[in-house]
Amino acid sequence: MTDHLLTVEHLRTTFKTAGGDLPAVNDITFTLDNNETLGIVGESGSGKTVLARTIMGLQGTRNATITGSVVINGAQVVGATEDEKRKIWASDVSMIFQDPMTSLNPVIRVGKQVDETLRVLQGLSKEDAMKRGIELLGLVGIPSPEERYRAFPGELSGGMRQRVVIAAALACSPKLLLADEPTTGLDVTIQAQILNLLDELKEKMGMSVILITHDLGVVATRTSRIIVMYAGRIVEMGSTDVVFKHHRMPYTRALLESAPKVSNPSHTRLTTIPGRPPNLLALDSGCAFAPRCAYATDKCRNERPELQASEYEGHMFACWNPITTDRGAN
Amino acid sequence: MENDTVNDQTTPIEHVGSTTLEKPEKKAPLGVLFWVSVGWVGLNIFLAIVANFLPLIDPLALNPNISNAGPSLHHFFGTDEFGRDILSRVIFGSRISIAVSFGALFIGFSIGSPLAMLASLRRGRFDKALTTFMYSLLAFPGIIATISILSFWIPRNLFKVTLVIGLFTIPLVYRVVRTASLAVASKEFVIAAQIQGAKDGRILFKEILPNITPIMVSFVLIGVAGVVALEGALAFLGLSINPPTPSWGNMINESRTILSTDPWLALFPSIVLVLFIVSLNFIGDRLRNYFDVAEVKI
Amino acid sequence: MARYILQRLVTLIAILFVVSIGSFYLIHLLPGDPVFLILGFNYSPVTKAILDAQLGLNQPIYLQYFTWIGHVLHGNLGTSFISHQSVGSTIMRALPIDGELIIISQILAFGAAIPLAMKAARNPDSVLDRILSAGSFVLLSVPGFIVIIFLVLFVSIKLGVPNTGPATYVPFLQNPLVNLTSLMLPSLTIAIGAFVLYFRVLRSDLTGVLQEEFITMARSKGISTRRIMWRHAFRPASVALLGTAGVNIGGALAAGFIVQFLLAIPGLGFTLVTAINANDYLLVQGIVLVISAAVVIVNFIFDFIIFLVDPRIARD
Repeated sequence: MTDHLLTVEHLRTTFKTAGGDLPAVNDITFTLDNNETLGIVGESGSGKTVLARTIMGLQGTRNATITGSVVINGAQVVGATEDEKRKIWASDVSMIFQDPMTSLNPVIRVGKQVDETLRVLQGLSKEDAMKRGIELLGLVGIPSPEERYRAFPGELSGGMRQRVVIAAALACSPKLLLADEPTTGLDVTIQAQILNLLDELKEKMGMSVILITHDLGVVATRTSRIIVMYAGRIVEMGSTDVVFKHHRMPYTRALLESAPKVSNPSHTRLTTIPGRPPNLLALDSGCAFAPRCAYATDKCRNERPELQASEYEGHMFACWNPITTDRGAN
Repeated sequence: MENDTVNDQTTPIEHVGSTTLEKPEKKAPLGVLFWVSVGWVGLNIFLAIVANFLPLIDPLALNPNISNAGPSLHHFFGTDEFGRDILSRVIFGSRISIAVSFGALFIGFSIGSPLAMLASLRRGRFDKALTTFMYSLLAFPGIIATISILSFWIPRNLFKVTLVIGLFTIPLVYRVVRTASLAVASKEFVIAAQIQGAKDGRILFKEILPNITPIMVSFVLIGVAGVVALEGALAFLGLSINPPTPSWGNMINESRTILSTDPWLALFPSIVLVLFIVSLNFIGDRLRNYFDVAEVKI
Repeated sequence: MARYILQRLVTLIAILFVVSIGSFYLIHLLPGDPVFLILGFNYSPVTKAILDAQLGLNQPIYLQYFTWIGHVLHGNLGTSFISHQSVGSTIMRALPIDGELIIISQILAFGAAIPLAMKAARNPDSVLDRILSAGSFVLLSVPGFIVIIFLVLFVSIKLGVPNTGPATYVPFLQNPLVNLTSLMLPSLTIAIGAFVLYFRVLRSDLTGVLQEEFITMARSKGISTRRIMWRHAFRPASVALLGTAGVNIGGALAAGFIVQFLLAIPGLGFTLVTAINANDYLLVQGIVLVISAAVVIVNFIFDFIIFLVDPRIARD
């Protein structure tokens, strides 16, 4: 059996709150290999950010318990000490966050934040690191990188900042990049640029990327596989093509339908998913999506569906009453 | 082994599910100590007001034969160098501290807050000019200024001391109230009210004032504590009300020369003074936590 | 950047101007004719004439100011009629002592506050953190002069530390060891008040900064905790600390005065209080001017340092 780049097994992150235990990440299992791009899609509140942080090992354990296994390039993350985690951070796996404004230290020059890992982890001299840093800035598409090297984050626009964040994350050429909603805080026009940049870099540097987003449009053409999350669990996963065209879980369809399309006639009413995301502290037995699902049956409400395979390879879904008709090409 | 994490990001930015991950304790409880402090402050104020009607020994009565006596049944706190009863002097002395501190804060607030609120609303040149003026007053070290003015503006009386301290409280109040008002004034509901044509005064009263009241209350308490300390220091240097009128500060000053023979004169006023200040600070701090207000930096 | 510095310099000069007017006007706060009070027992037509010339008291008030400020800018702060020494030289003799007290106390305060606050912020709610936070809250409420009195009471009387006084003071250049030991107690006393304040402010700001996303990002880069604390967390947090320190200079100075007063150390504070009691108004006025100007200037230096640490300030 080949070793995967990333193996996640039965991962659970449970928060201790005043109202009880809150399972933000509830039994997640999947793998990722080299040069793959995986999209993790879900509404806000599905637990995808907590999942990202837990996989990375950044999730604090003061109020949360983490069980299960996350192995990145052979190293176990769950239960590892900070020292152990530092061995793989930046060199094997890197993460970029949603808001570039808050991801960068406002009082340190941009260039220094990019080449820091080169100096500290790889022991490059200041001059060498700076050279590489300027290269990296150029690589992510920042104009006049020698000048911008000395800029402060506040002097750059949102899109520029996110590029800097990407440059910093890629400095040591990690094999895996976790991108947590990397474009959500940016203008629509910039979003496409950043996503294209990620595609380019992924090819150039031979990385695997996990793209976490609530926006299906983002994952449609850029990922080879998709995981759909709801209420902390995986409800559907498979290759992007299959999930888009042959999905079975009603939630996935609802997500696809609710995305507004330019091709619709004007004044088309936006389809929404009725109801609200579930209160994870008070989950009933049965499928978490049942209260909002148009196809829900009694069995759905009483018994929680496990993931089952469909006729397509690698495709799994969790539903008692799956959709059987294929959707038209979007 | 303690996990060597620098930060413990336990709560992600988004909500998880539809529950917002709140801190287990909702509103910081006030606690027993809070009410003890309130009681202590209240007691001091009460005693100060009714001092004349209490069965106390005359604070000015000299009794050379029992000077420097320790605590006894007759003199609960002992006597000072001139045989005066320390307990009654402490109680009468509290009047000075309380009168000066409340008076000074009153001056500071009645002038500082309206100006600050108005400036935060109007902005423009009025705000710029006034704020620059206030901030330059702040640059002038207040303690030094009060010392200077009070050393020249003799003879000293309660009114002058209160006025001078009050004067230098104005820019402090101005800064705090303006910062707080600005935070509120930039919020949408205020702008909405302005667009609807509401007059300045109305906005000030109905929109801004209720929102900055917790900050103001907290600041008043901390301010009073600060002025009590300041007046104490001034009295200690001989720059406030002079003996024989008792005040906490000048009693402590008098005790300087006789520290080894009569520690009581240093001890009791100091303890009462410190407890008063600590209580005020504690109340202000707890209220701040209760209303979840950002820390006020004087 | 240059524009920012220029702006600040202009403000500095404006404030110094206001300070000078304030100091100047102090004389006129005296009841009645200031001449009598200033000259005291030395009053005579001769001395009156000298004083009039020195201050230009015959002239309308705004001209008086210009006469006075003219003298000041030439380094002439007048001659005291009580001590018969030039105000300027009295001040210059006493000033280094205050300087020393401030420097030593601040070194002690920062030296203790910074590492302890870093430790406390890294391990919030630990035993160390709880003790320091509660203790500092109480200590912060205790007025400086009381701390000093009780410290003096305890140390000097119980432990018998050698007496200080004008006679026993030795300048640093003459004998560094004696100089430092004699100033250790007063510096320590001032340092306590400053330490408490700095610790609280720094710890609170550090805790806030540590929650920021860029710290998580720094962690994810595999950087050591030590480096994160000092390079990434301390810098933004130090801004508030520097601001507090700047503002605190006035308070530290005042605390210094009280200590000097208590221990008879011949610094400016002691000289000031003695002068007030001796009705040596010219000396008092001179000291007030010098100290106020010094505090304002030091504040501006602090502001400049803050600007170096966090250039965002200039972009407002």
